[in-house]
Amino acid sequence: MKKIATIACLVLITMASAHAQKLTIDNVHKMDLRNASAIREGSEVKGYYFFYVSDKIDKRTNEYTLQITDENLTKLKDIKFQDSKDISIIESSFNGSDLIFLFYNEKDRTFEYQVFGADARKKFSYHRQLSKKEERYLEESYLSDDEDQTYKGIYPIDGKGFISNMPSREDKDFTFQIDFFSSEKRKQWTYIPTAGGKRFIGDYLGSYNGVVYIEVLKLTSALDQKPESYVIGLNLETGKQVFEKSTEKSKYKFYPASMSVLNNGKAYLFGEYFDPNGNIGKDKSLGFAFWEMDEKGNVISEKYNSWDLELGKFLSVSSKGKIDDFGFMFLHNIIQTADGSIFAVGEGYKKVASALGIISKIATRGGGGASVTKIKVTDMIMIKFDKDFNVKGATIYDKNSNNHEMPSGAAYVSTPLLGKLVKSYGGFDYSYMQWNKDYSSFTVCYSDYVRGKDYKGTTFNSLTYNEGKVSTDKINTKTKSTWSIVLPGRQGQVLLMDYYKKEKKLDAHVEKLN
Amino acid sequence: MKRGVINLLLLFSLPVFCNSQEAIYQFQRDDSLLKKQWFELSSSKKDALLKKLDKKDAADYKEIYEERLKEVGSLLKTSRAVTEPIAHQYLQSLVKKIIDANPELKGTDARIFFTRDWWPNAYSMGDGNIAFNAGLMVFLKNEAELVFVLCHELSHYQLDHSGKAINKYITQMNSKEFQSELKKLSKQQYGRRRQLETLAKSLAFDNRRHKRENEAEADRQAFTYMKNTGYDVNGIQSCLQLLNEVDDSTVYPPLDLQRILSFDSYPFKKKWILKESSIFSQLGADDGELTKAELDSLKTHPDCITRIELLKDSIQSVAKGKEFLVNEPLFNKLKHEFFLEIIEQNYRQGNLSRNLYYSLQLLQANENLPLAIYSVSRSLNDIYESQKNHKLGSRIDKEHREMREDYNLLLRMLSRIRLEEIKEINEHFCRKYLSIMKDNEAFMKEMKRTRLFASAN
Repeated sequence: MKKIATIACLVLITMASAHAQKLTIDNVHKMDLRNASAIREGSEVKGYYFFYVSDKIDKRTNEYTLQITDENLTKLKDIKFQDSKDISIIESSFNGSDLIFLFYNEKDRTFEYQVFGADARKKFSYHRQLSKKEERYLEESYLSDDEDQTYKGIYPIDGKGFISNMPSREDKDFTFQIDFFSSEKRKQWTYIPTAGGKRFIGDYLGSYNGVVYIEVLKLTSALDQKPESYVIGLNLETGKQVFEKSTEKSKYKFYPASMSVLNNGKAYLFGEYFDPNGNIGKDKSLGFAFWEMDEKGNVISEKYNSWDLELGKFLSVSSKGKIDDFGFMFLHNIIQTADGSIFAVGEGYKKVASALGIISKIATRGGGGASVTKIKVTDMIMIKFDKDFNVKGATIYDKNSNNHEMPSGAAYVSTPLLGKLVKSYGGFDYSYMQWNKDYSSFTVCYSDYVRGKDYKGTTFNSLTYNEGKVSTDKINTKTKSTWSIVLPGRQGQVLLMDYYKKEKKLDAHVEKLN
Repeated sequence: MKRGVINLLLLFSLPVFCNSQEAIYQFQRDDSLLKKQWFELSSSKKDALLKKLDKKDAADYKEIYEERLKEVGSLLKTSRAVTEPIAHQYLQSLVKKIIDANPELKGTDARIFFTRDWWPNAYSMGDGNIAFNAGLMVFLKNEAELVFVLCHELSHYQLDHSGKAINKYITQMNSKEFQSELKKLSKQQYGRRRQLETLAKSLAFDNRRHKRENEAEADRQAFTYMKNTGYDVNGIQSCLQLLNEVDDSTVYPPLDLQRILSFDSYPFKKKWILKESSIFSQLGADDGELTKAELDSLKTHPDCITRIELLKDSIQSVAKGKEFLVNEPLFNKLKHEFFLEIIEQNYRQGNLSRNLYYSLQLLQANENLPLAIYSVSRSLNDIYESQKNHKLGSRIDKEHREMREDYNLLLRMLSRIRLEEIKEINEHFCRKYLSIMKDNEAFMKEMKRTRLFASAN
């Protein structure tokens, strides 16, 4: 993440010797930070890594120092090694016992996954050579500088290994690649769908009873407005496909967003559902759906909650799914807690006319210029379902709205797709969601801007669910320091960093959200 | 005259607690004039040293001496240094015993004082200030052990180890050879770090070797001073033995958090201290980059066992002396009081986790109950407020493998516990001890505070 890299650079600057003119070991020794990021176990931050170039060995080779810290920034280990000068770290993950890093060599076009054990020793390396086509495609997507980690995808499988999901090119097809890297023994398998379509988009949903679940959208072309949706199951040990189940041939068209294994030990997929003849590219969803699915791909049960009926009991919702004052809901995440309750977390948005766009249209006689569409991002919402997936409540959490001018052409895009556009531009205030290991607690974090009597500036906000209760909290991020940053910590905590330019001091401490 | 008035005021200062059932503990009140005088003396000494310097390296010395004075200030300008008359005079009596028995020490300008710092250590700062931490005093068994430590630190000062080390460091850093080596490396494009590391290591090993030699020399000199005092020199051996084990020692038994913070209607929640997965959980203490030999070379002190061995023959050659010569009851009283002072000093310095830890230990040991109960409830209230205002992170320690296990459990709990849970614990805690503490004004104020938090929610 750019933010952590910036901070680490400043740490190095503040540690530099005060004797700028006289030579000392400190001011001759230089370390260049190449990458830095949080190390997560699922959603929970377990530590951080800082990847430095600590020395140059020759024209082609660097010495690197990979510094691993715990979640309090306490150094655990410096791992030193030599490698090509063209490598950087793309991703990392932790599966409860082992750590994985994905290294990318830009010059050789290779990926290398390195697995480290609990004793900090390297266990395995897995290599992958990219073709030129693959590299170009990945540079537009997976390798792009994406602070929101939209494309990033290494997922831990507790104690067993890691699943990687990334876009892929196979001849003329644009698809995705699922890899499993074992942390128990040297073993890997790969799955790449290519049959029957031109484009495939894959989302890792989760794993259950030795099966990896992937939601797949198959498109016949880049402009295909009615992609085919299905869920596939892959055997975790072998990578062989064990089932393929369409999500469009039931009562409604269902598009699972994630999966959870409940307290009853069964796996459930949940997401939005659409009219059976609908078009996900254009239409609004009808509501939320929940499917119980076993490891053979059999759908054991289905439950549907519509906007206007079930959700309408708690919110003032139009038949088209628009909530009064709030607007349309963009679903950020869904989670099931230990007590069986299910929470859908979203944010509101609505179209408003853009004065700038209208003036521009008039000035150019309708010929072009700024879009006439502006999006107003409104409040946060949390919808609660019981373990049988009945809506039990919905709460809107007020925050200040903010507006975004949309690019030209946005006026013709459907509202649901506009939501995806706003997301891709980073227009929502939602930052992230974290939950603890036993799902008894989760925290939703988002930013806001306030104009109060005592404070005017940005705030970092949270909604925390813990043992049946939801609490809210807020941290004012504008302080006396030169700048302040709030970074994710372990669930329910954040890492606050304040930099004081005059004193050349960087103050970092972990704070709990209430 | 002024000091007499102040002393009178100290004698008549109000007690902290009013409890007819248990003896009242009054926190020590320092002589602030003495602290001011000693700091001024330190400052004058620094200025005098700087005036004598050659212009060539003056800037380097100035930086070091000013940093040192800042450290002296952090002791003498705060409540860290103890100048409470009884404790202070007691310490000076012991120092006088040493000086009277060793004419070469007559006229020394050493300024020796206790501190309220919790970690077991004593140190000479090199400019005459010698600090003796309460965190060491609480473990000592007799005056003989205390006197050995004083002799050791006086030896460092008398032999000017600090001054010599500073001279050596500056001469080395500014030498033509060293600067030329660094200049060469700064222009080198490849392999710079490894050569710098080699250079840094050789410097560090050399410096640490000299430091170990200084420690051994200070031990020998300390023995010479001590054997003239009449104190039992076997105190050297028992003191070094104690230092060898002090990191694993506590004054009181380990904290049983699950028992002491559990109440019938609000039991302790195991999830507060449940161990979670962590990165590199099997990383050993010796899994660093340095070899064992290198680690040994970086030690500033020889092993305590080695130190005992080096002095064994000398110790055995001297007839047995006394363990106490000045005031045994006062020694024991101060030992106990210093633990209480440590608790309060942690509070003053804003370290709420350590303040709570020691307070709970006291409570568990059933000692100084009114103070223990009050201190726990105050600490929990402050923890509540700090967490509410997102300031707790800078007021508690973080779990670390080098901390004691029971302290780590408390830290883990503090990092997990939610705001309302802190309030619940304190409410139940206050209710449990209300019958003992109902006449204690300070405690009742904390209880009221807890109730205010509850009603605000």
